Amino acid sequence: MGDIILTMKGINKSFPGVRALNNVDFELYKGEVHALMGENGAGKSTLMKVLTGIYKKDSGTIIYDGKVVEFSNPREAQQAGIVIVHQELNMLGHLTVAQNIFIGREFMKGIRIDDERMNDEAAKLFKRLNISIDPTEKMSNLTVGKQQMCEIAKAISNEAKIIVFDEPTAALTESEVNELFEIIRDLKKKDIGIVYITHRMDEIKLITDRVSVMRDGAYVGTLISKDSTKNDIISMMVGRVIYEEPKTESKVPEDAPVVLKVENLNAGKLVKDVSFELHKGEILGFAGLMGSGRTETAKAIIGADPKESGDIYINGEKVEINSPRDAVKCGIGYLSEDRKRYGLMLQRNVAENSTIAYLENFLKGIFIDKKKENSETEKYVESLAIKTPGIDQLIVNLSGGNQQKVILTKWLVRNCDILIFDEPTRGIDVGAKSDIYKLMNELVKAGKSIIMISSELPEILRMSDRIIVMCEGRKSGELRIEEASQEKIMHLATMWI
Amino acid sequence: MSKKLLAIIFCIVLITSVLAGCEGTKSGQTAAGDTSKPAETSSGTKTDAEKPLNFIIIVKSYQSTYWLAAVKGAEEQAKARGVNCTFNGPNSESDIADQVQMFNDAINSKPDGIGIAACDASAVLDSLQAAKEAGIPVICFDSGVPDAPPGTVLATASTDNYKAGVTAAQGMWKAIENRVKGATGKVRIGVVNQDAVSESITNRGLGFIDEMTTLCKGAGKSVAVVGNDFYVNKAKEKGDEASADVIIEVRVPSQTTTELCATEASAILNQSDTIGIFGSNQVAAEGVLTANQNLGVLGSTDDKIIAVGFDAGSIIKAAVKDGTMYGAVTQSPLKMGQVTVDLLISAAKGEPVSDVDTGGAWYNKDNMDDPSIAPNLYD
Amino acid sequence: MSGRIRNTPVSSNKSVIRRLGGQNVVVFLIVVALFAFFCIVSPNFRRYSTILSILDYSYYITLIAIGVTFPLITGGVDLSIGTGLICYSLIGGYLVVYQGWPVWAGMIVCVLCGALIGLLNGFLVGTMNLPPFLATLCTMMMTRGLGSICSTGLGIPWPTAGTEGGWFRTIFKLNIGDLKLPLGFLWILLLTALMSFILNHTKIGRYIIAIGSNKEATRLSGINTKYVYISAYVISGIFAGLAAIAYSAIFASVYPGTGAGFELEGIGGAIIGGVSMTGGVGSVVGTLIGVFVICILKTGLPFIGLQANWQQIITGIVLIAAVLIDLSRNVKGRAINR
Repeated sequence: MGDIILTMKGINKSFPGVRALNNVDFELYKGEVHALMGENGAGKSTLMKVLTGIYKKDSGTIIYDGKVVEFSNPREAQQAGIVIVHQELNMLGHLTVAQNIFIGREFMKGIRIDDERMNDEAAKLFKRLNISIDPTEKMSNLTVGKQQMCEIAKAISNEAKIIVFDEPTAALTESEVNELFEIIRDLKKKDIGIVYITHRMDEIKLITDRVSVMRDGAYVGTLISKDSTKNDIISMMVGRVIYEEPKTESKVPEDAPVVLKVENLNAGKLVKDVSFELHKGEILGFAGLMGSGRTETAKAIIGADPKESGDIYINGEKVEINSPRDAVKCGIGYLSEDRKRYGLMLQRNVAENSTIAYLENFLKGIFIDKKKENSETEKYVESLAIKTPGIDQLIVNLSGGNQQKVILTKWLVRNCDILIFDEPTRGIDVGAKSDIYKLMNELVKAGKSIIMISSELPEILRMSDRIIVMCEGRKSGELRIEEASQEKIMHLATMWI
Repeated sequence: MSKKLLAIIFCIVLITSVLAGCEGTKSGQTAAGDTSKPAETSSGTKTDAEKPLNFIIIVKSYQSTYWLAAVKGAEEQAKARGVNCTFNGPNSESDIADQVQMFNDAINSKPDGIGIAACDASAVLDSLQAAKEAGIPVICFDSGVPDAPPGTVLATASTDNYKAGVTAAQGMWKAIENRVKGATGKVRIGVVNQDAVSESITNRGLGFIDEMTTLCKGAGKSVAVVGNDFYVNKAKEKGDEASADVIIEVRVPSQTTTELCATEASAILNQSDTIGIFGSNQVAAEGVLTANQNLGVLGSTDDKIIAVGFDAGSIIKAAVKDGTMYGAVTQSPLKMGQVTVDLLISAAKGEPVSDVDTGGAWYNKDNMDDPSIAPNLYD
Repeated sequence: MSGRIRNTPVSSNKSVIRRLGGQNVVVFLIVVALFAFFCIVSPNFRRYSTILSILDYSYYITLIAIGVTFPLITGGVDLSIGTGLICYSLIGGYLVVYQGWPVWAGMIVCVLCGALIGLLNGFLVGTMNLPPFLATLCTMMMTRGLGSICSTGLGIPWPTAGTEGGWFRTIFKLNIGDLKLPLGFLWILLLTALMSFILNHTKIGRYIIAIGSNKEATRLSGINTKYVYISAYVISGIFAGLAAIAYSAIFASVYPGTGAGFELEGIGGAIIGGVSMTGGVGSVVGTLIGVFVICILKTGLPFIGLQANWQQIITGIVLIAAVLIDLSRNVKGRAINR
C-alpha cells in the first residue's frame, strides 16, 4: 500500500429532518481496497455521493491527491479521477460496449466516428483487465455482471485514481464475482484506490485490506480486515445505545389461534421455501438485510408477484391468492415500503384515498355516496388522529406520518384483519413514529394481527412479539422477543453471506 | 380556496365576458382565433344620413381563388353602395365545425345581415334558427341550405348547381357521344366529387350523373352508377353494373384535399375502359390534372380521355387552353358576390327578396377569351 | 458461498424477427407482398404509370418521415411536420407567385422556415424541457395558421411545368421525350444514404441515439443534451422544408388548412420501419421501407375500389399492428433504462 490518496475529515450532511452524516472521517491509501460497511441508512452511500459531487456537504474537508477539493457535479469528480460504479448501472442499452465506454470522447476520422478504432481500443482495454467481452456487442445483451465490468473498464480508460464500488456483487454469479476480484487485484497493482461498499461479511477477508464501519450517520471505527472477526464488525454495526425500551415479554397467549399460515413459499430468487405462522393479536417482526427477501415474501403472499409454489392458510382454511384482489378479499392489507409509488393516489384527497379499497361499500346504486364516504373518513381521521385541515385535503400535502395513517385507514375501512407493514416508519419523523407504534399496539389489542417488515433493529425489538429473520431469501431463524437481541438478529441476518 | 368560491368567481367572469361580447359589433374575429384568415373590412362613402349598414359574409373557405373572386365582387358592390362588409371563413372546406362557430359568433355581434356559403347544409340549421330569432336576415350564396327552417334563409344567390352539372354533362357528351354509341364493350365515365355534404358539390355531381344517364339512354345504352354510396343512392337511376353498357363511377376522398382527389382520380384514369372524367370543383379538377401527370391520358381527341372541370384558377385555365382538359364550367363568382350584397341590403331594409341564379357557363379553348366568359375566369 | 443469486442474461437474442434477418427485411417483404397483392387483384395497377404515381405521391411523406426519425430516436416526436410542410410551401410559394421571387429563392425559403421552426421545437424540448408531444403540438397549431396568414389566405399554385419557374418540378419528374423518369426517387435514395451515415457514423447521430437510450446517463457522460435535442428537431424541420418543395412540385396547388394528418403518416412509416417510440432504436433505411408500406396502401386501396373511409380504417389497422410490434419488442430493451 502506498501513500494516502484521499482524506475526508469531519464531513457533515443534513437533509430536512435527518442528520445523514455526522462528523465522519474516512481515509484511503493508493492501491488499497477499503471496505465501507453499515446497516441500511448508516450513511455509506451518502458519504460517497458527497465525495463524487452528487451531494454538497454542509461542512468538513476533502483532501484528494494532496489538494483540498470540492466537486459540484459528478463530471468534475470524474475528470479529476474519482469514479463510482453504481449499483444501478448507468449504461446506454442500445449502443455497443465500445460506444458506451468512449461516449463523449469518441475517436474521429474527419466527421466520421472511428468505430473500428474504438473497438480496437476497447479490446485492448479488456485484454489488460483480463475480461472477455466482445466490444461490438449491444450493451443490453450482456449480463448484469458483464455490464458492470464495462463500467469498470470505462472508469479505467478515464484514468481513474479512485474507484468506488457500491454493492458490486449483489447481482453477480459466483464465477463473475471471482472475475471481479481478479480485476480488483489488478487495479490494486496499478495503485488505484478502491472503496468497496458492501454488507457481505465473507468478502471482507477475501478482497479487502481494511474495513470502516458507519452507524446512524456516524463513523464508528476502522479495522484491519485480516485481523478482524465477524463479531467485531457486527458489534460495531449495531452497538448503539437504544433509548426506547425494547419489549421484554410478549402479551400474546400461548394458545392464540393461527390466523395466517404460510407453507413452503417459493417465488423467484428471493423467496425460497419460506414457512411461518402468524397468531391472532401478535406483531410478527421480519428482520434482515436489504435484499434478503422480506418484501418479496410479502408480495408473494398477497399475490402481487407470481409464486411458484406454496400454500397459504387463513384461520385454518386453505386459500388461493393469485392477485392482490384475492388477498384483499381474504382480509389482508399491505402497506408498501414506497408509499408514494404503491400506496397512494397522490393527486386525490384524503377521503378518496381512504375509501378506494372498498368503494362497493359506499355505493348508492351506481353513484358514490359522498356523504357516507366523508363520514366514514372523518371517523378514522379522529380515531387515528390524522392531522389534516380537512378530508378534502390533497394527500400529497400531508406529512409522511399522516400519509401512512391514511393508508392504514384504507385497510381498516376494508376491515382487514391481517396487516402487513413494510418499513412502516421510513421517512417519518420521530414524533410521528411513536404515533404509529401506538396505533399498531392498539390494533393488535383490538384483535388484529400484524406482520412488520423493518430494517431498523431498535424498531423490531421494540414492537415485535416474535421475530423472523431472513437471509438470502430463506428463513434463517425465529426468535421470541424474550430471547432476542441486536447481535443475535444480525448474526442470523448474515448467516449465509 | 374552496370550490364554491372558485365556482362563483368563475361564473362572474363568464357572465361579464358574455355581456361584454354582446355590446357593439365585433369585427368578425372568431373565438378560436388562430385557425382562420383575419377579417377584412371595407367601408364605403356614406350615401345616406343614417349609420351605414353592417354585414358579415362567411365564405366556405379560402382554399380556392374562387372564393376570393366572390369576396372581390362583394367588396366592390359594398363600396359602390356605401355599406360595410366584414369577411370570414374557415381554412378548408372540411372545417365544418369552424364555420358553424364563425356563424354563431357573427350572430352574436348583431350585424344588419349575414351572408353565408355553407360547408355542410345540415350543420348550420340550428344557427339559422338562432339568427332568425335574433332578427338577423340571412342570405345564402354559392351553396344553399335546402332543409332550412321556414323563414330563416330569405334568399339564395347561387349558381344553380344542378343545372351546372347538367351543362358539364352536355359539354362532355359532345366529345364522347360517338364513342358511347359505337362502343362494343363497357365504357366508364368517372366523377370525382370532393365531398358528399355540401349543397353545391352534391348537386353538381347529381346533375352530371342524371344528365349523363339521360343522354346515354337516349342513345340506346343502359347505365349503372357505382361508387360512393351517397351519390349512388341519390341518382335518378342506379342501374345494374353487370349488364350496363355505361358505368358512371363516383369517387369521394376522405378529405377535401388535392392529393386525395388525385389518388381517387388515378384509380379511375388507370382503368382501360374510362373515356371521360368530371371533377366537380376546382380542387377535384386540379386533382384530376395531377393524376394525369404520370398517365398522360387526358386530351381532346378520340383516343384520349375527355376531362371536364369546374371553376377556373391558373392550373385549370392552362389545361383548358392547351386541350388537356376538354372544357370546364365556370360560375360567376364576381356576380355572386355582388348579388349577395344587393340581397343583403334589401333584406335589411325589409324589402322582399327571392333567389337569384347567377348562372354557370361552359367554356373551352375556343370561347374562353370571349368577353362574356373571360372576367369570371379568375386566377 | 451458498445462496448466491444465479443470474440470467438480461435479454434473449432469439426472437422470430431476428431469425428472419431483421426488421428491415421483414418490412421490405411486406412491401413486396402488398405490391404483389394489388397487382394481382387489380390489373390496372400493374403499369409503369402506377409505379410513377406511387413514387410521386410518396416524396413528401418520405421526406418528413426521414426527418422525424431523428426526434423519434431521442424518445420524442415532432407533430409539426404535417401542417409545417404546407406552411413552408405557402410562404415560399407566396413569395414566388405574388412577389415575383425566383423559384430557387422560394425553395430556400421553404427549407429555412423549416429549420427555424425546428430550432424553436428544439429549444422548447431541450432547454425548456417541455414534453415533445406538447411542444410540437403547439408549433403544429402555429404553422397551421401561419401559412395561411403569410399567403393572405390564398391557395398557391407554384409555377407549372413548362412555364418559366416550372423547372423545379423536373427535379422530381424528368421527362425525356416519351420517357418519364421519377428522378425524385434518386434524391430520396441519396438523402437516405446521407442521413443514415449521419445517424450511424457521426457524433451527433451517436448522441441522438444515446439520449434516446438513456437521457440521464448521456447527460452524466458530459454531453450537452440541449444541443443534441436542437439538432434532432432542426433536422426534422429541414426535411419538412424539403417535403414542402416536393409537395409543391408534384401537386398543382397548395391550400392553407391542409397538412394535418401528414405527420401521422410520416411517423407511422417510421414506426413500421423499426423506429421505437421510446427512443434509442431506429434506422433511416428502415423508415424509408416502412413509409412505402403506407404509400402503397394509399395508392393501391383506391384501385381495388375501396371507398375513402375504408382506406383510412385499413391504414389505421396497419399502424396499430406496427405500434404493437414495437411495444412488444421494447420489453427487452427497457432493462437498463432509467
